[in-house]
Amino acid sequence: MSEIEKIRVELTVNGKHHVLYVSPCKTLLEVLREDLNLIGTKRGCDDSNCGVCTVLVNGQAIKSCTMLIPLANGCDITTIEGLEREGGLHPLQQAFIDRFAVQCGYCTPAMILTAKAILDENPNASEEEIRDGLHGNLCRCTGYTKIMEAILDVRDGKYKESCGEV
Amino acid sequence: MRFEKYFEPASIKECCELLVEYGKDAKLLAGGTDLVPKMKAEVLAPKAVISLHKIPGLETYKLCDKGVTIGALMPLRKLSLCEDLNKWPALKAAAGHVSSMQIRNQATLGGNACNASPSADAVEGLMVYDAIVNIAGPNGDREVEIADFFKGPGKTDLKEGEFVVSFFVPAPEEGTGAAYRKFAIRGDTDISIVGAGARLLLKDGKIADARITLASVAPTPMRAVKTEEFLIGKTPDEETAKAAGKIARDEAKPISDPRASAWYRKDIVEVEVYHAILDAAAAVK
Ligand SMILES: Cc1cc2nc3c(=O)[nH]c(=O)nc-3n(C[C@H](O)[C@H](O)[C@H](O)COP(=O)(O)OP(=O)(O)OC[C@H]3O[C@@H](n4cnc5c(N)ncnc54)[C@H](O)[C@@H]3O)c2cc1C
Ligand code: FES
Ligand code: FES
Repeated sequence: MSEIEKIRVELTVNGKHHVLYVSPCKTLLEVLREDLNLIGTKRGCDDSNCGVCTVLVNGQAIKSCTMLIPLANGCDITTIEGLEREGGLHPLQQAFIDRFAVQCGYCTPAMILTAKAILDENPNASEEEIRDGLHGNLCRCTGYTKIMEAILDVRDGKYKESCGEV
Repeated sequence: MRFEKYFEPASIKECCELLVEYGKDAKLLAGGTDLVPKMKAEVLAPKAVISLHKIPGLETYKLCDKGVTIGALMPLRKLSLCEDLNKWPALKAAAGHVSSMQIRNQATLGGNACNASPSADAVEGLMVYDAIVNIAGPNGDREVEIADFFKGPGKTDLKEGEFVVSFFVPAPEEGTGAAYRKFAIRGDTDISIVGAGARLLLKDGKIADARITLASVAPTPMRAVKTEEFLIGKTPDEETAKAAGKIARDEAKPISDPRASAWYRKDIVEVEVYHAILDAAAAVK
């Protein structure tokens, strides 16, 4: 098989603009981890099921192992590395720590980003709506209860900054 | 995952030409939620991948008096939440039952249909409303009724060089109610064991027209025609729904697979059709 021609891809990742020349056979996950060294985004099943590769593309949660890189061309991408701001963690990050919603931590970046997508779209999401939004994210450790508690704390304004303005 | 060529045609014509040139060696890329996992698993190994995303207008919808035309690239989540499409609740519900939020953000209506999976959920919404598939090809455009579009698992009516541009979904008549129900063990992230759609047109309290559609119980998405015939002229009550469920059970032709055995699927068809009919009747305004 002959080597495929690389394509030019422009991405804004966590506010930083990148111009890359990559194989169009790569997924967004591979580009984030291998070309941009953003290894906070995890690879689990690599077949679209587990959700640990979730990132935000133009604010929408998608599974980056499932998105061919040309489809991300021109998009604004947020990974877990982009949540921390000057002076501290994002409220969801802090809440996950405070509620002990992290055990091995492998699912955590994706859980936090998915939760962010849910609350950004609907800051008053009900518990059922949050659970429904998290349906595509697996966690093998926590049993989900602590994750829900952390997200509900943020929804209920227990952290001084509200979600939705990141 | 490797392919040799990647194209982004900017027009329908250019896309058809590429499809003709590469024939069976080409695969179209819509959202990629089906294509990408299949290429990784080497179930599919196309030489050329052709993206539909640079063709203008495929992501939008257009309302008219007679109905709505929905572009093949309309993402399923957008569709499931679209207020302009409230006339078609069963289509919105069916699209909203496809897997998780992440998959629905990426997956498209056209991809759901062209995949030609017997278990496709959004397709059921198109079947419930007798949608028309708008196809572009090297010899011009043509239309196919959605129920005739599927030819077998993974097989559609598309000929070489052709692809789906949009779907026309007729506006339901006054007095219509419709519903879609998905039955799966692990909720929407799971592929359905049975999907059941229903559309009822009521006149003077009796059923004047009916569509009953089923997913995951035949080689293609199917219409339960005998069940539909039985419903005409009946009152949409529990007794009717129960009897209709039994007929649909006989019409369904499921196989046993790792998700469920054939007899279990038949049992579920009976229950889900019963509920879909009552849901549709309750939805009549
Ligand atoms: C984890 C997971 C869970 C899933 N769960 C469900 C589920 O619950 N219910 C369900 O229905 N589906 C499910 N699917 C299947 C898939 O997500 C859907 O069928 C989706 O709608 C496919 O759309 P897409 O745009 O991603 O298609 P793609 O993967 O881009 O394309 C699918 C196929 O159709 C062809 N194609 C796409 N668009 C066109 C067009 N316009 N004209 C001609 N050919 C075209 C492609 O070449 C390809 O062969 C699931 C998939 C995954 C990965
Ligand atoms: S790695 Fe993407 S869903 Fe599992
Ligand atoms: S904390 Fe281990 S998988 Fe979720």
